[in-house]
Amino acid sequence: MKTKYFKQFLALVGLALMAVIFAGCSSTSKTSANAVTHITYWHVNAQTQGGATVDELVKEFNKTHKNIKVTAKYNPNMYKGLMQNLQSAQASGKVPDVTQVGWAYDNYFSSNFKYMTSTDAAKKFDGNDKFITDHFTTKTLSFAKDANKKLVGLPYSLSTPVLFVNKDLLKQYNIDVKSLDTWEGVQKAAKSINEQSGKYGLYIQEPGDTWAQQAIMLSNGADIQKNGKAAFASENGEGAYKLYQEMVTDKTALHTPWAQGMDSFVKGDVAMAFTTIAQASHIKKGASFNASAIIAPHFEGHKTTVPVGGSMLAITAQDATQQKAAWEFEKFMFKTSSSVTWSKGTGYLPPTKDALESKEFKDHVSENPMLVPAVNTLDKAIPWTSFPKNGLQAEQAMIDARDKILSGSDISSTLKSAQEKINAQQ
Amino acid sequence: MHNNKKILPFIYLLPTGILLTIFMVIPIIYTFYLSFFDWNLIAPTKDFVGMRNYIEVFTDPVNQKVLMNTFFYIILLLVLNFIVPYVISLIVKFFIKRMQGAYKIIFFIPSLFSLVVGAMIFSWLLNPVSGPVAFLFRESGFVLPNWTNSGGLAIVVICLITNWKVFGYNFILLLTGLGSIPKNIVDATTIDRIPKWRMIWNIVLPMNKSIAIYVLILTIVQGLQYVFTPINVITTGGPYYGSSNVLYHTYLNAFVLYKTGNASALAITTFLIFLVLLYLEIRFVEGRSRYE
Repeated sequence: MKTKYFKQFLALVGLALMAVIFAGCSSTSKTSANAVTHITYWHVNAQTQGGATVDELVKEFNKTHKNIKVTAKYNPNMYKGLMQNLQSAQASGKVPDVTQVGWAYDNYFSSNFKYMTSTDAAKKFDGNDKFITDHFTTKTLSFAKDANKKLVGLPYSLSTPVLFVNKDLLKQYNIDVKSLDTWEGVQKAAKSINEQSGKYGLYIQEPGDTWAQQAIMLSNGADIQKNGKAAFASENGEGAYKLYQEMVTDKTALHTPWAQGMDSFVKGDVAMAFTTIAQASHIKKGASFNASAIIAPHFEGHKTTVPVGGSMLAITAQDATQQKAAWEFEKFMFKTSSSVTWSKGTGYLPPTKDALESKEFKDHVSENPMLVPAVNTLDKAIPWTSFPKNGLQAEQAMIDARDKILSGSDISSTLKSAQEKINAQQ
Repeated sequence: MHNNKKILPFIYLLPTGILLTIFMVIPIIYTFYLSFFDWNLIAPTKDFVGMRNYIEVFTDPVNQKVLMNTFFYIILLLVLNFIVPYVISLIVKFFIKRMQGAYKIIFFIPSLFSLVVGAMIFSWLLNPVSGPVAFLFRESGFVLPNWTNSGGLAIVVICLITNWKVFGYNFILLLTGLGSIPKNIVDATTIDRIPKWRMIWNIVLPMNKSIAIYVLILTIVQGLQYVFTPINVITTGGPYYGSSNVLYHTYLNAFVLYKTGNASALAITTFLIFLVLLYLEIRFVEGRSRYE
């Protein structure tokens, strides 16, 4: 008998403690009586990457919109970190209302999370989608569409890869900047610099994605995907990697993780760096040489084509009033003045037509000439490849192929096996 | 009264018990459950795949590579974070008479820094092209190999970074252990003119065994977790998984690629390997010490 009571007692205490612990997890925020709608905005901008600008914009919005209160929440570890947090949020049922979604997560987001498409939001709350068509070009909108052609969110941060050059080094070793229009020219220049100085000629960014490598393949006329299937293991795709591998093998190009590679460029040990325009302010601040940027090179006989980088704003609010407030907030964020402030604070290009053509932005560009090639690349940009199924694993397969090739593996068979691996999962 | 005595210990244990259940036991059981499914962490459906995830742990070449790397990490960590601090603490205790306190402080300072900060500083210092170390090498006529491109060298550098962090802590633990050995025994060996190395081998090491075993286990278990940070900050497992270990690879599968099933199978396998290691350790190392 004693043990029975004891067990019951234990169970009771256990339950009580559980209740206490879980009660702490589920504090819900409710709309207050005076009809102020609270919404949360999840972003990835650390204080050094435009976080202050986010706070500034949110503050201004809250000041001008008395019935909506936006709270911004920073998510560390960029879009990947935000996705991870969004998953736990979805599991606990407490999701943000407006969310920055990186392009690479386009299909993953649209097939796994509940959200309201921008087209639906515009039609429901404005009665038509004029806001979208007025502010964005068809091209820009295509970046934010998923495999089913649905507009997942509105393009918010745009970036393109550019070739940063150390003008002092180019001058010292008699390299004509015009010859850097093609990758063949870049290879020749890198070789010449390497032979004369022992320095590396080129660094191509190697983060946890193959964005830059895709740009090189695309600029040799290769396709990354065709009708939802991987298609990069083509003659042109191999050709692009062949040049890249040659340069790494003969030490004219540096092969190292991103942070170290950029560090070496900024210190003047590498003459050219192919990376995102978002690095411009870092280079401007750090470099003691005359740095400039030129448009992404292409291969002879082909045109420059690059995948766009950055993110979109998606509405993840579930409740109609909050969706409405979220849409209001998005519209505010796409106002010309907000877009330009955003661009100045982060180094991204503004997403709307009117902001790109505004005097304010043009003044900003003339003060920062490194932005010119990036703006000019926008009409050569295509959506970042996002495979309909298992997109993140597909990206990893491409990263693996890149790393294998740069360590000296056979290009043709490596690309083929990566392509087969991706297509087996589609 | 009698009744109280029976219940009370359990009530005292209850808070810890509940916390352990919620944060350790249930997650491990759930991980075990997930390891039989193909799931991306949020999809409403989980596909049952039987033993497939476990078969992949051992047949997938990347997993094999990662498992091999893990053993390489363990060996290096054992040397750097256990054997070296042990030797140095023995030297400080028995061969150097002065400045013991100063050594303790100097060696301990790095463990106060965050490992992320340490990893970033080392990544800058050891940048093979433009870091200060590369500069010094160049000036003296050597070339610093590009360690970021070689899995083996990257592992060595990552272990050195954790060593920078862990060394002082392990050193102090071991030194404290040595300090608790009764002085009269040590003095007796001096009077009997027993050589120092014999004194250390036959008296000090056996008497300090319990602390040493604690540090040994800590080195392996905690060391593998510590290397996660520099891997994540510097190499992200590259070049081509060359510097990855099972913990980082589990993280990559679970939270970057959202292959929850594979990650769970890998985690459970790791858990079992450690369980076996611990069992062997308790059986053969700790068990024997009782007879000495």
